[in-house]
Amino acid sequence: MVDRASVAVVGVGHTRYGSFPEYDAYDLGVLALKQAIADAGLKFTDIDGLIVNRIPDYQRFCEIAGLDPAYVSITPGQGRFSGICIETAAALIRSGAAKTIALVYGNNGRSSGDRYGGAGDTYGSGGGGLWFPYGMTSPGAFHALMARRHMALYGTKSEHFGIVAKTFRDHAALNPAAVMRTPYTLADYQTSRYICEPLHLFDYCLINDGGVALVLTAAARARDLAQPPAYLRGYGMATALSDSTFPPDDFWRAPAKEAAADSFRMAGLVHDDISTLMIYDNFTPTVLFSLEGFGYCGVGESGPFVAEGHLAIGGRYPSNTSGGHLSESYMQGWALNVEAVQQVRGACGARQVENCHFAHYMAAAPVVTSIIYGREQS
Amino acid sequence: MTTRPLPSIEGPDKPFWLGLRQREVRVQRCGDCRTYRFPATRFCAHCRSETFEWVAVEPTGVVETWCVFHRQYFEGLTLPYTVIQVRLKCGIRLFSNPVGVEADALRIDMPVEAVFEDTTPEVTLLKFQPTKGDFQ
Repeated sequence: MVDRASVAVVGVGHTRYGSFPEYDAYDLGVLALKQAIADAGLKFTDIDGLIVNRIPDYQRFCEIAGLDPAYVSITPGQGRFSGICIETAAALIRSGAAKTIALVYGNNGRSSGDRYGGAGDTYGSGGGGLWFPYGMTSPGAFHALMARRHMALYGTKSEHFGIVAKTFRDHAALNPAAVMRTPYTLADYQTSRYICEPLHLFDYCLINDGGVALVLTAAARARDLAQPPAYLRGYGMATALSDSTFPPDDFWRAPAKEAAADSFRMAGLVHDDISTLMIYDNFTPTVLFSLEGFGYCGVGESGPFVAEGHLAIGGRYPSNTSGGHLSESYMQGWALNVEAVQQVRGACGARQVENCHFAHYMAAAPVVTSIIYGREQS
Repeated sequence: MTTRPLPSIEGPDKPFWLGLRQREVRVQRCGDCRTYRFPATRFCAHCRSETFEWVAVEPTGVVETWCVFHRQYFEGLTLPYTVIQVRLKCGIRLFSNPVGVEADALRIDMPVEAVFEDTTPEVTLLKFQPTKGDFQ
């Protein structure tokens, strides 16, 4: 049989999630990296490639962490970059440019008072200053506009967003690391205050501090390390960046379809093979758009699909079993990838998906990424 | 502290802001492939030409979607307020506010026309109302 997957995640680490004003983004990254390297059974000197994300300066980070990697790069603090970094690391390893790559994310957004909306809003292409006079600002409003259009076109209901939020909160209740663990009812959801209608408070992700790190290496080497490897069975990426100041008419379906097709083709799998989904959930509507775009349900059918309970642990496609960005931690895709790895390792305890062979991470945004993790190499 | 956010009319979009003052919606049009664009850029994203002119376009379009803000991001804007996404006939998209129509009455593809709102002695904002004679 052909060895389909040539790269694996061999170490994962994360800090506690919450508010840690005494730690900056560098510190949070170092804490996570120490864990990830120990998890893999490696040493800092084994790391010959490094990509930092959201950490302000790669040079400062390497000085603090005592690293001299052969390859280094830095990426901006946007959630779409977790998938980009992982796919880039895989390409670097496959090319021979580096053998063992650490991806390190540090986010002290809560303690540093990050705001997503208002005069400092830089979301989107070049920031939204032109539209401030009309009060238009924030990633949340951008997704509220998309949500409203989806509701008008397809009959999607507010309660469909609520089911996503509530389901992920139920999952977070099983996750000791999650920031928000108290379950709520759909009625609680409906009475939670609006931030940008049709979106309620519970449709929005958290803002909290934390750090996450992943260590990747070649599959041949992964087998000798401390943990069961999580093989990158397939991955793909596509973009919709031109005209991206405005929400895409197709809810990112075209790039999602392309990225999904590439990742399934590379993996030699079909949707029905997938055990669990990790869906980038900056806002609940993104989950619905992703289910349609990545092909788990038909166009316009995501509302009824989630109402059938498929996303719950015990459902057909248990999703965001950690609680995701909505309830576990706002780690911009990184913690969802850690959860995907932990699920295929079978290390998720009370929230473990049974017979979890394949976990599919997906992010719908102007840069779409799709990564399928597998327990077996082929 | 009740100053609402205002645009700086100086800059690449100055012809747009001056146009609103004169009750026209002006956008850039590529001198080569004739594609409209706004806000201002040096190059046409369609053909990368550097030549362009500012032209007045038909000040009508349709509502593509909307949302209602319940959180205060800016001083001087009264909550709740509605933001609409409008597609002009020429294809240009804009964020704006509706005039003379409640959020509950908005519909996808509702035809709208420009309302020029003189906000300060220098600044006119471009808002939209349902096209006359087109009320559902």
